[in-house]
Amino acid sequence: MSTRDDGPTGTRLVVGVDIGNSTTEACLAEVGPDGSVSYLGTDLTRTTGVKGTPANTAGALTAIRGALARGGRGADRVATVLLNEATPVISGLAMETITETIITESTMIGHNPTTPGGEGLGVGTTVSIAGLGTAEPGQPVVCVVPPGWDFDDAAAAINTAVAGGAEVVAAILAGDDAVLVTNRLTRPVPVVDEVAAVEKVPLGMLAAVEVAPPGRTIRTLSNSYGLATVFELDPAQTRQVSPVARALTGNRSAVVVRTPSGDVTDRRIPVGELVLRGAGKTLRVDVDAGAEAIMEAVARAQPLDDAHGEPGTHVGGMLAQVRDTMADVMDTPGQPAVPVSEIAIRDVLAVDTFVPAEVRGGLAGEVALENAVALAAMVRTSRSRMQLVADLVSEGLGAAAVIGGVEGEMAVNGALTTPGVDRPVAVLDLGGGSTDAALLTREGECTAVHVAGAGELVTKLIDSELALGDREVAEGVKRFPLAKVESFFHVRHEDGTVQFFDQPLPPHVYARVVVLSPEGPAPVPTRHGLDHVRRLRREAKRRVFVVNALRALRQVAPGGNIRALEFVVLLGGSALDFEIPDMIADALAPYGIVCGTGNVLGTEGPRNAVASGLVRAYAAEPVRSGPAAPVR
Amino acid sequence: MTTPTTTAPPERTVTLREIGPARRGTRPDEVVVALSPAFAGHFSKTIVDVPHAEVLRQLMAGIEEQGVTARLIRVRDTADLAAISHIAAKMSGSGISVGILSRGTTMIHQKDLARLSNLELFPQSPLLDAPVFRMIGSNAAQYAKGESPQPVPTRNDQMARPRWQAKAALLHLKEFECIEADRGPVEVEAVFGPGTAG
Amino acid sequence: MTSTAPRQSTGHQQSLRTEILEARSVNLDGFVEEWPEKGLVAMESAFDPAPSVRVEDGRIVELDGKLRDDFDFMDTFIANHAIDVTSAEESNALPSAQVARMLIDPSVSRDEVLAVTRGLTPAKVLDVVKLMNVVEIMQGMQKMRARRTPANQGHSTSARDNPIQVAADAAEGALRGFAELETTLGVLRYAPLVAIALQVGAQVGRGGVLTQCALEEATELELGMRGITAYAETISIYGTESVFIDGDDTPWSKAFLAGAYASRGIKMRFTSGTGSEVQMGNAEGKSMLYLEIRCILMAKGAGVQGLQNGSISCIGVPGAVPGGLRAVAAENLVASMVDLECASGNDQSFSHSAMRRTARAMPQLLPGTDFVCSGYSSVPNADNMFAGSNFDTEDFDDWNTIQRDFQVDGGLRHVREDEILQAREKAARALQAVFAHLDLPPITDDEVVAATYANSSNDYPFRDVLSDLKGAQSVMERGITGLELVKALESSGFHDVAENLLTVLRQRVSGDLLQTSAILTADFVPLSAINDPNDYAGPGTGYRLEGERWEQLKKLRHVTSSTNPETEVG
Repeated sequence: MSTRDDGPTGTRLVVGVDIGNSTTEACLAEVGPDGSVSYLGTDLTRTTGVKGTPANTAGALTAIRGALARGGRGADRVATVLLNEATPVISGLAMETITETIITESTMIGHNPTTPGGEGLGVGTTVSIAGLGTAEPGQPVVCVVPPGWDFDDAAAAINTAVAGGAEVVAAILAGDDAVLVTNRLTRPVPVVDEVAAVEKVPLGMLAAVEVAPPGRTIRTLSNSYGLATVFELDPAQTRQVSPVARALTGNRSAVVVRTPSGDVTDRRIPVGELVLRGAGKTLRVDVDAGAEAIMEAVARAQPLDDAHGEPGTHVGGMLAQVRDTMADVMDTPGQPAVPVSEIAIRDVLAVDTFVPAEVRGGLAGEVALENAVALAAMVRTSRSRMQLVADLVSEGLGAAAVIGGVEGEMAVNGALTTPGVDRPVAVLDLGGGSTDAALLTREGECTAVHVAGAGELVTKLIDSELALGDREVAEGVKRFPLAKVESFFHVRHEDGTVQFFDQPLPPHVYARVVVLSPEGPAPVPTRHGLDHVRRLRREAKRRVFVVNALRALRQVAPGGNIRALEFVVLLGGSALDFEIPDMIADALAPYGIVCGTGNVLGTEGPRNAVASGLVRAYAAEPVRSGPAAPVR
Repeated sequence: MTTPTTTAPPERTVTLREIGPARRGTRPDEVVVALSPAFAGHFSKTIVDVPHAEVLRQLMAGIEEQGVTARLIRVRDTADLAAISHIAAKMSGSGISVGILSRGTTMIHQKDLARLSNLELFPQSPLLDAPVFRMIGSNAAQYAKGESPQPVPTRNDQMARPRWQAKAALLHLKEFECIEADRGPVEVEAVFGPGTAG
Repeated sequence: MTSTAPRQSTGHQQSLRTEILEARSVNLDGFVEEWPEKGLVAMESAFDPAPSVRVEDGRIVELDGKLRDDFDFMDTFIANHAIDVTSAEESNALPSAQVARMLIDPSVSRDEVLAVTRGLTPAKVLDVVKLMNVVEIMQGMQKMRARRTPANQGHSTSARDNPIQVAADAAEGALRGFAELETTLGVLRYAPLVAIALQVGAQVGRGGVLTQCALEEATELELGMRGITAYAETISIYGTESVFIDGDDTPWSKAFLAGAYASRGIKMRFTSGTGSEVQMGNAEGKSMLYLEIRCILMAKGAGVQGLQNGSISCIGVPGAVPGGLRAVAAENLVASMVDLECASGNDQSFSHSAMRRTARAMPQLLPGTDFVCSGYSSVPNADNMFAGSNFDTEDFDDWNTIQRDFQVDGGLRHVREDEILQAREKAARALQAVFAHLDLPPITDDEVVAATYANSSNDYPFRDVLSDLKGAQSVMERGITGLELVKALESSGFHDVAENLLTVLRQRVSGDLLQTSAILTADFVPLSAINDPNDYAGPGTGYRLEGERWEQLKKLRHVTSSTNPETEVG
């Protein structure tokens, strides 16, 4: 009789260990001779190294020891450690900007400064402020003021010129002085300011300056026929300037200069092809065709065998890099290199996004939201090194360690411990790099898929769409609800409710949009309002998680029919998100499916499904080959 | 680029006319600018010779450009920047104030904050020039409007110490000399001298 | 606008020579007239109190003209804890000139001087050092320095808080001779990773180098207690009650903190310096040196083994008044003459003039102090997160040459390029292994290569700051200690480094580093005022730069061989 059997006769202490992409989870249980299971403790730690590689051993041991500590058992009592069959998954992200806005001949200024001056429309010939003295009386002029001019001096110069008969109908300023200058004019005119490259405004040209009252937007310059009226354009010319009108829509102020062939164009940037191989065909799709076209091609090439991008593009580089990383990971000293054929891109998710970018040819740092495509890709190999991990764990712990089951099956198995769940059940594991789905049919058959794109892609979308340039902040926006700090003693939450505080909030969050992290409110450095940030956050989650949930479930559902599913259990780190589970549940509701966040063992929430699934599978084995002997 | 005709204007001056005891404001669209005992009085320029007239003009311009009103007070019984700024914040209808010492050190404060706290602090007086004062005024006004301005970038210069540390201490001591204990803050009006039109 | 812009010309015509002089960098420095009434004066002020002391019933009842009832808390603390009551009246009765003479007289031993100085009041100490010119101050320092062997301390920081840079620069710094290395942060949350990097790098460069990480007091103490750092220094004290109160502190609260360090066997010293009180406008009309002497005696009374002084971050203030650097030299001497370890400044950007920067260090370098610099920047000043030091990496060769010229030991030495590259590479590798072992964000081989050859933080690949900060947080949450670092080094094949670190950690138990002026030699022998006491007794005695160490310091980057003048030695 083994010393490991210290409980009731035949009772065996086992630990299920799930090595995931980012976390390693353990589940400690006693399995009785009749297959009854009593759970003693769980633990969770960060995965060490790439999943499915020997570097996982350290994290696995940490989790095992943590679970043992919680269960109050010593390592010497462990009969068997059960590991999941996990294959390395490496995911990558890349983004390609596919449009570019160009203003030619400095034909418009549309940066929408926060404080323009005056109101109304002024149309006249552009004249530098230094040349105002020589302006012809009665001839309407638009005064252009270069940097270095003090607001008092500029206003005085304009007033003097006006007193001398000049008809100044509008002004364009380099500095942030519009209100100041307008307040000092004897005859106020519309003024647009903060035009950094004001020296590039063509002089001696007909120009129109329009400023709308606070809270309104311009009406004339954003209307093609308004422009046609102002500049007396013929239909052909009107057609030419209509992009200008479109570009200015929604602004409170704008300037349009009538130049011989000034234009605003939206150019498509060729960023190369994506070559998809699968289902016996090879498909080529231009990345700048957008996400929809790419995903259509991906769907036609299912199941995907491999994908390649154009060298020198972000997408091409990313695809090559995930492949290389995988090759490095799989490289075992003293063994032949892994054949490239084993390292293939198995899924691609393309998402349409936008990137705020400075407009080429702009005079005032105009920013346009350029279209972009974000691409997530995933590579897997069939080659697993889990046996090596098992050997190392066994050595480190002094107990037997075996591969106890395949990840997807075990996840479903564990998910079944969620109260209220029954077969057929599908699980959706919402991770960081990939979204995984598995289905267990009523008959006990299991299928599993991995699709590219998950939490990290959401972070990237938030980061670039808000132009944060800071992944930490973007991560915060993704994970926590927003609020606006309205005073030192209260915040308004994103749902509109107000919360008061006894102690003043820290000064650096005052008047800011913040994320409510557990460590306290953290400011989001953006000029956008709370609603904008919220909309963008939810949209990013929808485009990744909702899209992938449907995509993955379709792949496992019988005949690709989601309606054939009955229970869907959400698992994984992102299932803890405060809104993603609801968004997925909403999206699945029309299919008549029960969908919710898992509660493994009735206590663990969406965590520990695979680890406890391993234990359950072990307990369910009808015959075991006698008690395991101690390893040493 | 056109050279402005005003690169070397006649230097603007400012005198502060006392109007009466400073009151608590009620307008939500005001920022109170609080001046230290020796500002534009015993002293006429900051540690790096930015004229106080220009400091004040730019601070007020930054506030005005945002459509907010600036109200000036002089604090006479302390030269402690946090105290000056906090007194002003308590008097400000919006709860927002800008406090400034003669040498240029500046702070944006808010009435609900602890005295020793602040919204934005600009401790390195040698690095504050006219454009920075404009941005400080602008940010204060934006806080008053409930907006979320990006904090004015603070600069740093390791070699400020050998050049300015002792002069800063000296100016600080001089400002202390100008303290009039037991005299409450007064409302002042800035009257700008030559060079200003409009 | 930059503060280093040349001064504006006055408009009228200048001589060509004046133009040249105006353009000299020394004229970018600031100078001010004294104002003794307000304390803007170095050490000669009519407003400083006259010395006096009266003892009744074993208690000091009068101190420097003040009766006990009128004491502020500084007076109380000094009277109760710093001054030896039994000898106070007798010592203070000695003429100041006699005490000053004892300080420089080689025939009076250091112990004999200490028997007198332990009873002196702050005003009496000032009265004594006021009699001494700068050469006499240096003579005094030569004898009164606590440790016989002088040493130096380096700053190892990174403008990007890049741990790999800190490790590599710490290794190079340790190899070049710094006995202590200090770091601090731009982003404070990076502290655990950078403190680990400093410790690992230092032990690669030379086993036994002591490290510290300057932070707010609670985190600094915690890193020390965990053994991630080896000592602490940035515990600031001030010479007037009002400045103390402004910082929400008292001498007792600082003494309590000192006790917390001592309880875990952690070396620590206080920090103070001339000019801090007047800089904050609370000098109470006393000279900078008088107030600094109060700080020094307060430190003594709190029972700490040492003090970092020499104006430190306020150096621009004494540097701008007449006789300011004499006062700075005097404050170092006072720390030494009351038997404290003295880490003697030269650690903050001080002047635009290279000539003035060098001169400023002579009163410490020539006689030797316990740490000539309490922070020589062993990174380029642009990477120095202590706001720049008086010396940085560009000055290494100059420093080594000056040591050779005068045959003085400033604690550093010239090291051959191949040795430096090897140490930097090994430090980066060791840190890479430690990070991997502790499951911290990985360090790539590219980063290791960059660290080997880099000069500044700009020469390194960007780190994933988000992951690093999460890793830093996990170091704190997981309760990682110095022993974990030892295990990580040992299990990843860095046996020698693990051994070095473990031996440093063992000092916690022996407590030897709590002795005055303690450092560890390369053989891990604690060198302190106990086993390496300064025995200077005139020419030919005390520490002499000779033997093997002198041979080391004769080496420079380029020295023509006398055997074969067509080649260089080294």
